[in-house]
Amino acid sequence: MDPKLTEVSQLFDRFKASFLRNDYDNCSNLLSQLKVLLTGFRSLPPLFADTPNAVHELTIARDIYEHAVVLSVKTEDQDAFERDFFQLKPYYTDACNRLPPSPQEYPILGLNLLRLLVQNRIAEFHTELELLSSAALENPCIKHAVELEQSFMEGAYNRVLSARQTVPHDTYVYFMDLLAKTVRDEIAGCSEKAYDYLSIKDAKQMLLFSSDQELLEYITEEHPEWEIKNGSVYFQKAKESAPCKEIPSLQLINQTLSYARELERIV
Amino acid sequence: MSEDVEMKDQATPSQSVSSALPSALQHLKGISSIIESGSYSKEVRRIARALRLTFALRRKLTAPLLSSFLDYVLVPASELHAKLSSYLPSPKEGDREMEVDSATSAIQNPVAKHLLPELEIYCYLLVLLFLIDQKRYDAAKACSSASIVRLKSLNRRTVDVIASRLYFYYSYSYELAGDLAEIRGNLLALHRIATLRHDELGQETLLNLLLRNYLHYNLYDQAEKLRSKAPRFEAHSNQQFCRYLFYLGKIRTIQLEYTDAKESLLQAARKAPSAARGFRIQCNKWALIVRLLLGEVPERNVFMQRGMEKALRPYFELTNAVRIGDLDLFMNVAEKFGTTFNRDGTHNLIVRLRHNVIRTGLRNISISYSRISLADVAKKLRLNSANPVADAESIVAKAIRDGAVEASLDHADGWMVSKETGDIYSTNEPQFAFNSRIAFCLNMHNEAVRALRFPPNTHKEKESAEKRRERHQQEQELAKHIEEEDDDDF
Repeated sequence: MDPKLTEVSQLFDRFKASFLRNDYDNCSNLLSQLKVLLTGFRSLPPLFADTPNAVHELTIARDIYEHAVVLSVKTEDQDAFERDFFQLKPYYTDACNRLPPSPQEYPILGLNLLRLLVQNRIAEFHTELELLSSAALENPCIKHAVELEQSFMEGAYNRVLSARQTVPHDTYVYFMDLLAKTVRDEIAGCSEKAYDYLSIKDAKQMLLFSSDQELLEYITEEHPEWEIKNGSVYFQKAKESAPCKEIPSLQLINQTLSYARELERIV
Repeated sequence: MSEDVEMKDQATPSQSVSSALPSALQHLKGISSIIESGSYSKEVRRIARALRLTFALRRKLTAPLLSSFLDYVLVPASELHAKLSSYLPSPKEGDREMEVDSATSAIQNPVAKHLLPELEIYCYLLVLLFLIDQKRYDAAKACSSASIVRLKSLNRRTVDVIASRLYFYYSYSYELAGDLAEIRGNLLALHRIATLRHDELGQETLLNLLLRNYLHYNLYDQAEKLRSKAPRFEAHSNQQFCRYLFYLGKIRTIQLEYTDAKESLLQAARKAPSAARGFRIQCNKWALIVRLLLGEVPERNVFMQRGMEKALRPYFELTNAVRIGDLDLFMNVAEKFGTTFNRDGTHNLIVRLRHNVIRTGLRNISISYSRISLADVAKKLRLNSANPVADAESIVAKAIRDGAVEASLDHADGWMVSKETGDIYSTNEPQFAFNSRIAFCLNMHNEAVRALRFPPNTHKEKESAEKRRERHQQEQELAKHIEEEDDDDF
């Protein structure tokens, strides 16, 4: 066996061991070393050189990046997640005819969808979705993310929150917790437009706070324009002011002048 | 999908009647002389004309015709001749007569001494067209790849027109064979070369081919990155511009920029020539979904366009479901035509529509009732969930925030109160609406004026040069007069 490959697999074994021990600092160190070593292989993307050990090298590299993605979730580092995921992606898209499919593929793709949802990058979410086959869409991990997006768009926030109980993979919990925060902001935004007022008890329940204290802190921090009186939260101030009755004369003059100019050009 | 690529009619190789052969051969010879003169006089226009004539002849292309044409144009026994002839089926017994005929004509016209690159590339194109029409895709792949290798070494503006066609058939033959991903790197290299040579027609064609290549594999991200960074200029060919708009519309739809997407798709559908039925159907399908996603209801006559009723039928039923706002009906339609939608690649977009169906239903409710309990809202929307009232409440709240319905919620009593819609004419709204319409009309007029094209009247050039000189003289005299008058004033 190639000495370089042996070195990588030994290092990777150490990485996996400390990963199981939840020793994330050590993991990050080992991961950086592994990534440097991986650059020495010519069979990996983007070169895809046909070396004798190509399949083995690709498999181990894919495995390493899959672990890297999961590690970034455990260390709650979204930027690292994005970087590692993009490094992993070619293994799924371009190397699929060289390698047997990975069992981790769908959970990780679903995780990425969830991340895009949390970061409110809906356009990218849909771009990623287009890449998936209809078989992939049936996979529970992917389906979970797709249904979340639908409920989120509809406004059925209860369903988003209850989905936390049915996560298909334990790594999803981190993003689901982040999603809960996004959902709270969304609900707050909707409530101030939809309701005239809410009793503190209802508001607390809707915004998913366990105590009045937390609710009051949230209001003073995020929405200081809300008014609290008589045991209720009033949203009056946040409403738009009455429509202005004044004629926007300057704007009208500008428009009429531009029409005149255009007409002159035609005639 | 193959239908929409081919803007021209799909040529079905007609059974060649031997009497038709000589006239077709004469035509081809005529075309080759047009190319020659175009090449010598460096007039791109003539070569474009030659290509137009060729496509009229496409149905008549047969193996004996091609081989006699090759004999006529190329040096017999040259490397190129041997290579191109190898793609053609070997002549059969009955064709021998023709060969003799062509052999004599080759002697009569010894033009083939010095082969022009334009003619060489043109021969490649003819053989390629023939192979594609004969459905011999592997041979077509080999032939087109050989021609691309040759093209890379040529740098002549008069070749560019033929080259752009060749690029298209190069990609098309690979697409038919199902190996589109293979040539992506090559197309990128060609696009780079075309950009460096300021071959705008080539750039336009290759950019479209690349976009098509990416979209074929749903690589919207890469497609958008390429599109936004590729140099843009005024379109040279209407067909290429239509395709570009269509791809652009697709990308924007996926990235949720519905307003822009609608504009591109509708423009593509309008600009496409009426013969390109497949292409227009595709454009219409996408445009319909985008309009539904925008919350518009397309008019009935969109679905009743001639030759499209059948293809647009599933979309018609879908529109109906969205218009009524009936979630069950919508699900039924989506299921019933699932295979069609999957084939069109619109399935994921239709999943997005669910949200619009709910909105429409909600809007209907809010118009009909001044006050309605949330439980009834949930029932009417047919929200089949564990906690319908809470779901309905948050859905209504979001609809209110997004401005879809004018209402407010009462949590304590659990009902939705619709707001009285005020008199719209008391606001500035009509003013805005009129303004946007006027701006649209004026813009349309300006664009139409800009799109007018006049043939370059080259034959009048000399005459006008003389006239210009005259005019200049007159102007100078006039200017002198004015100057003198000015001087007088002082």
